[in-house]
Amino acid sequence: MRRTRTGPRDLSREPEPQQPGRILDARLHLLDRQVLDIDDLPVCTLDDLELEVAGGEPADRVPAEDGRIDGSVPVVISALLTGPVLGTRVFGGRPPASRWYRLPWAHVSDVGTVVHLSVRSAGLDATWLERWTRDHVVGRIPGGTHDPEGSG
Amino acid sequence: MKSRLLTVALGILTAIGGFLDAGDLVTNAVVGSRFGLSLAWVVGVGVVGICVFAHMSGKVAAVSGRATFEIIRERLGPRTAGLNLVASLAVTVLTLIAEVGGIALALQLASSVDHRLWVPVAALAVWLVLWRVKFDVMENVTGLLGLALVGFAVAVFLLGPDWGDLGAQLVPQVPAQESAAVYWYFAIALFGAAMTPYEVFFFSSGGVEDRWTVRDLATSRLNVLVGFPLGGLLSVAIAACAALVLLPAGIQVDSMSQLTLPVAQAGGTLLVAVVIVGLVAATFGAALETALSTGYTLSQYLGWSWGKFRRPAAAPRFHLAMILALVVAIGVLMTNVDPIAVTEYSVVFSAVALPLTYLPILVVANDPEYMGEHVNGRAMNVLGTVYLFVLVVAALAAIPLMIATEAGG
Repeated sequence: MRRTRTGPRDLSREPEPQQPGRILDARLHLLDRQVLDIDDLPVCTLDDLELEVAGGEPADRVPAEDGRIDGSVPVVISALLTGPVLGTRVFGGRPPASRWYRLPWAHVSDVGTVVHLSVRSAGLDATWLERWTRDHVVGRIPGGTHDPEGSG
Repeated sequence: MKSRLLTVALGILTAIGGFLDAGDLVTNAVVGSRFGLSLAWVVGVGVVGICVFAHMSGKVAAVSGRATFEIIRERLGPRTAGLNLVASLAVTVLTLIAEVGGIALALQLASSVDHRLWVPVAALAVWLVLWRVKFDVMENVTGLLGLALVGFAVAVFLLGPDWGDLGAQLVPQVPAQESAAVYWYFAIALFGAAMTPYEVFFFSSGGVEDRWTVRDLATSRLNVLVGFPLGGLLSVAIAACAALVLLPAGIQVDSMSQLTLPVAQAGGTLLVAVVIVGLVAATFGAALETALSTGYTLSQYLGWSWGKFRRPAAAPRFHLAMILALVVAIGVLMTNVDPIAVTEYSVVFSAVALPLTYLPILVVANDPEYMGEHVNGRAMNVLGTVYLFVLVVAALAAIPLMIATEAGG
């Protein structure tokens, strides 16, 4: 798992030792990037990250923007968050953990200009609204499943 | 297989035909009837600006596969990008209302059936195309039919003006009967009409829809650099028509039918018929583009699946957003609001929303992570920065000038 530094840099502390692999800046390389599934279908935008104190209890889970993890302890990213958590990044506050849509970090296969997942979006909680809209609104309109590239 | 030359020619022709929308049509006619050609230079400034940023956003889309609003969200963060989303959506929906109203008014010209009866028909037709028709077919058909607006340029020649006199009007100057504030208010309106934000949303997302790659960059550049300036010339032709016929007669444009008066005088019923085809195609094409842009911006900000290349069932929230936008457009037009007035306001508000849209494009076009070796050259950056400065000035001046001049009254 990659370690990620969050919050403002504290110049008084020692620089982090060189890590093997790529160094990712959470704000620059992860937050607000498009998330694609294994078939390159858009899943969501990466709205927030769930951090866990390395080796700590799951109870320590906090969204990255919450600010309670201040950089004094090493943390790991345990999941990508999306959904209502976006509102708290715009307006502040903290949603109950039951309202988070979590995409476990283990599903992440690559981080580039987009974040790639190694699973299909169809089975994810994060896309239930997409499926609901498809099944109850758009799919019911005639021609909803017509492939525009097929026959024109 | 189409030959390459044909593809290029088709691209240029659709760029010309697709350049004009209801905002350009109305603003140019209004300006021509009040200021002659003394504001034609603004069209030139606007055309260069839209060329620069349309090309830049198209290049980002082709190289990185990322459309403009994904980049805006990624670079500006959820808060600032959210503000931009609200502003852009407001302007784009306002423009959509104006375009659907424009289709209805153009159909009224052709049929003498009240435009309010045409509104639901027009919106339904727009939705059917969005729902069913292949992206490039949609783009090419509306673009090519929009070329019928060349009728305005033909009319200028048929009117047989004193070319020296017309040329002398090109010098930027405030006419004696108008105040400087009104002159600059309309300058911003023309600028906003040429550079409306939905054009880059549509252009970059269209690049993704058409699956552009680095190899298509040359074609796209040619389409933009040749097509848009020729489209700009058509804008000036509309202003010239108004300047030749309406200005001396003291007629101010406040309806679509006055747009065609000079054409009727020059070429009779036949030319008017040709121009009406162009008006319907141009407003219909722009209605498609603005409806798509509402779907694109919302989907790209929130990370939904989007695109006309997917089945509607594979991009359900994108299609639902467009349906809702069209329903809103019908609702607003049914309140009997004047589509021409909506158009005039929408171009001024778009000037306000512009800087937040174009800044992230300029930043990402310089980011090697996205662009690799295709980052902007120095000339492009200088032009982009100069335009960003102009955009900020125009955005700051737009609302105060609108209030001071009572929207150009």
